[in-house]
Amino acid sequence: MIGFKTAINKLPVPCFITNASQVEQLIFTPECKGNLSVYLHKIEVKQAQKVGILANVSTLRSLVQLTSENQLGAIEKTVITINAQNEVVVFTTMEEVEQYVQANFPAYTEEDIKLLEHLNSLTRTERWQYWTEQFSACVKCYACRAVCPMCYCSSCTVESNQPQWIKVSSETTGNLEWHTMRAMHLAGRCINCGECGRICPVGIPVHLLTAQMNLDIEKEFGAKTGFSCKSGYALNTFKPGDKEQFIK
Amino acid sequence: MEIKNIKSTNIPAFFDQLIKSGKVVIAPVLKKSGKVFFEAVQSYSQVATDYIQTGFSAKSVVFPKVEVLFSFNKTQDGIEITDSINQIPETVVWGLRPCDGSAFNYMTEFFLKENPDAYYAARKEKTTLIAISCAKADAACFCTSVDLSPGSTSGSDILLTLMGEDVYVEVMTEKGKSVVESSASLFTTSEEKSKDAYLANIEAKFSMEEIKERIKTAYDSAEWKNESMGCFGCGACAFSCPTCTCFDIQDEGTQNKGLRLRCWDACGFGLFTKHNSGHNPRTNQTERRRQRLMHKFKYSVENLGIVSCVGCGRCIRVCPAHLNIFENILSVTK
Repeated sequence: MIGFKTAINKLPVPCFITNASQVEQLIFTPECKGNLSVYLHKIEVKQAQKVGILANVSTLRSLVQLTSENQLGAIEKTVITINAQNEVVVFTTMEEVEQYVQANFPAYTEEDIKLLEHLNSLTRTERWQYWTEQFSACVKCYACRAVCPMCYCSSCTVESNQPQWIKVSSETTGNLEWHTMRAMHLAGRCINCGECGRICPVGIPVHLLTAQMNLDIEKEFGAKTGFSCKSGYALNTFKPGDKEQFIK
Repeated sequence: MEIKNIKSTNIPAFFDQLIKSGKVVIAPVLKKSGKVFFEAVQSYSQVATDYIQTGFSAKSVVFPKVEVLFSFNKTQDGIEITDSINQIPETVVWGLRPCDGSAFNYMTEFFLKENPDAYYAARKEKTTLIAISCAKADAACFCTSVDLSPGSTSGSDILLTLMGEDVYVEVMTEKGKSVVESSASLFTTSEEKSKDAYLANIEAKFSMEEIKERIKTAYDSAEWKNESMGCFGCGACAFSCPTCTCFDIQDEGTQNKGLRLRCWDACGFGLFTKHNSGHNPRTNQTERRRQRLMHKFKYSVENLGIVSCVGCGRCIRVCPAHLNIFENILSVTK
């Protein structure tokens, strides 16, 4: 059972319960913001026969998105949440999770909307300057990648050294390459949990890159992420009736 | 050691004298993100004063996140190599905390004890550390558990302790002395005073002697798995740590022209131990986190006689999963 417990300094810390006697450790408070679905990619979790997860809405959305990407097939899972009325909700199928997510779909936070509006009001040059300044502080600790449930590649592009696509060293241009590559891989897949931005040690609002791309994709293709277990990925789904000519 | 006094109103003048001396002055600066980081400043007005701890430590002054070791350039006459060691500036670090100051003791042992590292030696030689005692602490601070205190002088060249309108100045080294002498008119002599009333109260989480003993048999503890399952495998703890010294040597450029770089690395990364053959002796995050914690509290004691954790609490504040090093250590040494 994956959930949160209280750490020694009172902060919520992920916990992995394997014995019913430990269940009382579990907490579910507004501070439990972390996206626990990322742990479903862990080898120890994959090896478990059955997995339970006490999920917030971000985690539920990730489960829906990961299902649509065929990533959770082999895991027998029990998904639990606590709704706004403080009731425990136990889902028996992913369809139920999907319905719950659609009925409780989170909006962008006001802070994010404000910053996105500001960034969109800038000229391209000013926007470039903004991100260049932000990424000059990046140290490539890859915490943004590590907390992301959609970054589930078993080997990341940055780990390739023959050829080396992305520099190991941390400097502005290489950092921009890394974040651009990550954002492109997550375009229309990111479920806007905002974890990458929240946990960045240097405070880069890196989640806004994919948040903006999601807005663009929703506008162009009508596709929301973490919304449906069955919808294909907007950027690689083709239909005969599509208006674009290049595929025909 | 020499004891001096300076009026707190004279601190900006002292600081500006450091700048005027032509040295690079690194100090805590409040960034737009609301976090405080060390960076080069030009005036005291840029310096943050209300902070418990900086986001990253001051180690980058002697061990930069990316350090150019040398550049090479192939010409018709052969290979031209430019060693960057001659371009290291005189640097003052202002406002580091006593825990960070003591971290330099470990760094120096690590880099200079066996096979001395010329780059570290050159940077350390040109660096003066002016630390400021902690009047405030937070739940992540645990220096008193690793035998340090919010007023430790160890490792720093000067320690400043704010005592109301006065600042109590402990000048620990010749380097510290020369900095004070360059602003001699601002300082008066002072008798030795107790700093206790001006220091944060940090309750010890454990006894270091006990942990040192118990960790000897902790390698096989079943608790490692429980304590490490939440670890995502990023490098935030290692990069923010004042004593993490692991690095990766990289060449960048072409066959004809390029740089040899030393870049920070982290034992939490899966790639850290991956062999060329594809084999990886540390297969999971439990083993990687165990390595990190055992290194701090056991291996560095065995190798260099120093506990290489200074209790600054950065890894706790920065961990995306809120993992807590002293809680983990207590658990595996139960």
